[in-house]
Amino acid sequence: MERQCTVGRDEIAVVYTPLMRRPLLLIAWLLTDLVLFVGAYACAYFLRVGFIVSTDFPLDHYLQAVLIVAPVWIGAMLIAGVFRLTSIQSSKRNLIMIVGSCVIGLSLFTLAYYFVFNQFFSRLLLVYAGALSVIFTAIWHLAFDQWQRRVLRKDPPAFPVLVIGANRDAERFIKLLNERQSPLKPVAVLDPAGSAQKEIAGVAVLGKLDRLEETIKQLRPKYLVQCSNLEHTLNLISVCRNHGITYMLLPSVLGVVGGSERSIVIEGQPVTTVEP
Amino acid sequence: MQSFILAGGFATRLWPLTERRAKPLLPLAGKPILTHIVEQIPSEIPVTVSTNAVFEESFHTWKKSITRSNITIRIEQTRSDREKLGALGAVAEWLEQEKIHDDVLLLTGDNYFGFSLNTFIAQYHSPCSLLAVSDIGDPVRAAQFGIVSVDADGKTVTGFEEKPAQPKTTLASTGCSILPAGILPEVIAFAKRKPDNVGGIFEELLRLGQRVECFRFIEPWFDIGSFESYLEATRVLVGERVMQDETNKMQDARCNGSVVIGTGGSVTKSKLTDTVLFDRCMVDNCVLSHCIIDDDCILKGVDLSGQMLRAGTKLMRE
Repeated sequence: MERQCTVGRDEIAVVYTPLMRRPLLLIAWLLTDLVLFVGAYACAYFLRVGFIVSTDFPLDHYLQAVLIVAPVWIGAMLIAGVFRLTSIQSSKRNLIMIVGSCVIGLSLFTLAYYFVFNQFFSRLLLVYAGALSVIFTAIWHLAFDQWQRRVLRKDPPAFPVLVIGANRDAERFIKLLNERQSPLKPVAVLDPAGSAQKEIAGVAVLGKLDRLEETIKQLRPKYLVQCSNLEHTLNLISVCRNHGITYMLLPSVLGVVGGSERSIVIEGQPVTTVEP
Repeated sequence: MQSFILAGGFATRLWPLTERRAKPLLPLAGKPILTHIVEQIPSEIPVTVSTNAVFEESFHTWKKSITRSNITIRIEQTRSDREKLGALGAVAEWLEQEKIHDDVLLLTGDNYFGFSLNTFIAQYHSPCSLLAVSDIGDPVRAAQFGIVSVDADGKTVTGFEEKPAQPKTTLASTGCSILPAGILPEVIAFAKRKPDNVGGIFEELLRLGQRVECFRFIEPWFDIGSFESYLEATRVLVGERVMQDETNKMQDARCNGSVVIGTGGSVTKSKLTDTVLFDRCMVDNCVLSHCIIDDDCILKGVDLSGQMLRAGTKLMRE
């Protein structure tokens, strides 16, 4: 299904988005996390009990409880947004979410073991299990994320981004995505004002908005980011809805600069706020 | 005489209205701009409409809606701004390929003019080129047009400047002219050097010592190149009323200013001010002010001001 061509200014490439790449990676990530969780708890067991098979505290009972809890732990991380495409695994927020999920996992493991086998066990083992699950998960997530980014950006990218606007904000955004190896890869720029530039930060400027439909049909972007021309917002959203593209807007288009904006929900109504 | 209408632009400033149709085919006060123009051309004059490959089909469809038989659609094999031959280049190619040796009535497909073309043609005396000009009275706006200077007789053109920084007059060239058969070789030669400079041909003719005259008119004229100019043209042509098809459903609708509603539309519990709805739009519980809404839009419970909406847009607040 994949066909790759070059993307040029006058010759728009035909690119079939490899739709299955991200789901397959996510499944692999979840499965490896499950193995990792069990592995961390197994390590904690052997660290505390020693490299023997204890009859007082049987390994199979212990692992049974771990296996019961592991999917819940994964679920907690999914809910916390740890596996989100746009999550930065090295961010403080993400690390807090991993720690929180591991604490939930640990608590549930304690409860599960007690409920199933009606007994408690070493508190030090819990400390080991909690610490190892956090360390293993954080390190693995950093490594997996780096690999995943490379795989998702490989041509043809899994998440091509069409950039609207050829201003400095667009240039900064494209550079940011490329420097950080974001899974979202800019593939083309259309400029409503008709920029004379042939490319911005290495991404081809293909023309004005009259080429929008044609560009979407040929490049099949999964995201469209508006970097200029606020007056076109409604129509760009309309185009995105028609083609199943996720629309994004740089705050600078609204005149918001300085990173003080947030999206919040007031009484069920989403609003964008700008802190003074 | 032959007439040639330039309709090969991609009209990117009027996106998204021009996403599926060329600017000359935009409906203006109930019919395409091009229809307004063609209806003015005397029936015995053959009409050639020059457009690009992107809009080929829509021009052929338009041609079928016109009763006149002597219309030819000429397709320039270009699909983007960058490939364009240039307006004058398109004229020159037609002159050469069709071996035209007649006087040429040259018109631009996105300019609406209210004067009679019969009167204009009656003013033409070969071998003088004739140019229709309108006094726009505003030196600032004049800098956006081809500006004509005239002799004391008010008729003989002495100068032509394309978009001058400091206009000498406010007489704007309106995209309507007659080129005598005798100067067509000069047109072809000039087009080879400056294919995109239609106005420049008059500068060139004056430089070559050819006589150019102007036809001044006071009737409305609109160069429909932007959202604002389109709405302004609608305001003038429609006036303070609602122009609509009898089949439209109007219920509890309040309209102010110039409102145009295309065929198959429905407007309920809404307020419309200076707004144009193209065909088959459904508007319910909305407040629309200074909007142009393309075909097949469904709007429910929204307030919009100063918007152009692309065809098929659905904005529905439950």
